[in-house]
Amino acid sequence: MNAIVRRNWLLNGIAQVGECGLFFLAILAALPRSLRHFREICRQVWFVGAMSLVIVMTCGLFVGMVLALQLYYTLSIFGGTAALGTVVALSLFRELGPVVTALLFAGRAGTAVTAEIGLMRATDQIDAMEMMAVDPIAYVVAPRYLAGVLAMPLLMCLFNALGILGAHAVGVTWLGVDNGTFWGNMTSTVDLWKDIIDGVWKSLAFGGVVTLIAVFQGYNAPPTSEGVAYSTTRTVVFSSIVILALDFVMTAFLT
Amino acid sequence: MSQAPVQFDSSAPLVRVRDLHTRIGGKVIFDGLSLGVPRGSITAIMGPSGTGKTTLLRHITGQMRADAGSVSVEGEDVARLSRNALFALREKIGFLFQNSALLTDFNVFENVAFPLRQHTKLPEALIRMIVLTKLQAVGLRGAARLMPSELSGGMARRVALARAIVFDPMLILYDEPFVGLDPIALNQVLRLIRTLNRTLGITSILVAHELAAIRQVADRVYLIANGKLVAQGTPDELAAEATPWTRQFFGGEADGPVPFHYPAPDYALDLGFAK
Repeated sequence: MNAIVRRNWLLNGIAQVGECGLFFLAILAALPRSLRHFREICRQVWFVGAMSLVIVMTCGLFVGMVLALQLYYTLSIFGGTAALGTVVALSLFRELGPVVTALLFAGRAGTAVTAEIGLMRATDQIDAMEMMAVDPIAYVVAPRYLAGVLAMPLLMCLFNALGILGAHAVGVTWLGVDNGTFWGNMTSTVDLWKDIIDGVWKSLAFGGVVTLIAVFQGYNAPPTSEGVAYSTTRTVVFSSIVILALDFVMTAFLT
Repeated sequence: MSQAPVQFDSSAPLVRVRDLHTRIGGKVIFDGLSLGVPRGSITAIMGPSGTGKTTLLRHITGQMRADAGSVSVEGEDVARLSRNALFALREKIGFLFQNSALLTDFNVFENVAFPLRQHTKLPEALIRMIVLTKLQAVGLRGAARLMPSELSGGMARRVALARAIVFDPMLILYDEPFVGLDPIALNQVLRLIRTLNRTLGITSILVAHELAAIRQVADRVYLIANGKLVAQGTPDELAAEATPWTRQFFGGEADGPVPFHYPAPDYALDLGFAK
């Protein structure tokens, strides 16, 4: 009995991944048609991107500040506090920027997208579009997907910028690292292609997966309040797992 | 009730259902259902809850496929249409959802304009004229700038009706249009359904339970139960007919072919009085 339940659970999981993959293909197929809904895409970029600015920038500032504190302590053991700017920037660009932004994005924008599409399904709006001969994948899903993929790297850049400002405030203004050393070491070690662009690749990939999970969960949410709530939770849980796992894989391949 | 029965040419119905068989999750919904909806008529589909009246509408619009049998609109089998042909057909069908299904992001005006904006490249001035005409027809021109969340249930349904007729469809499907309306709103919706049918000749299919309303507006009633057609005729004919089904449905008897009690083990046995 237990074995059967476990196998069903496993099979269901695999089937879900398969359905999600097919859904992804459907989105890709609908993308050219969805470009006609340019206004809708702009609205969605505003909705998932601009509305996430506050949380992403605040968190970026604090992550940078705490990073400077911790690294200053660690580096001072070896007498290497001059490298503070470099270490903070590398940690942010290569790792923390893409990952933390994606986690925040999943919590702020991913849940909103899932709940919105789920409620549209529950209130027959998706069916109504089909009845009006409007393809909901092209009109509802694809613009949100595109917006998520576009917004994520941009948000990450702002996260990194605020993080470095925060680290500067703590490291230079408070702890007394020399201003010239902080910036000089950072700009001479950080490489545009190897460090910054690698982070952008990661961020694009995370944007793709998180938004895919969000729209998939929303589109297939059971049309009840319970179902929408459950799907919203799953968006965050699945996104977090996938972000961290994918981060490991991508880091292994990119470095 | 007061109007004289209208005669329709039933040899070439707009919607024809032939020997329909459908199962959903193992439950038989339709078991050989056949019926025809004459062009230009208001046809009411009645039946106990759970007989698949909404499912029938979904078959007509091609949102769901039947296991066997066919549904044809304008002589074309809906299930065999390509996606493009199906979408082209849907542009000619208006569908009124029970909960109105207005797009919550848009105001009333944009909701009614939505199909026009999606399928045409009409100039803004013309879109505005069409939308305002349709809103005027449902009496809500003044509400054009309101958001769906600011509307009462009856108003939302009238907006949905305006949206359903914005392309001047040949067929409108009403899914429970009277549920949850107060008597005033119900009369307004009834009048709209009749006006649309009589002035524009739009064929209407109406899924509803409200007997009094149906007797006022419907030309023809189909009574579905247990997946089959059990009675048909004008509302007055059905009310006068004395089969067990019509007696229970039109006479409002609690028990009959549709049992009052959900299937259960013996009552005494359940209470523990008998062995």
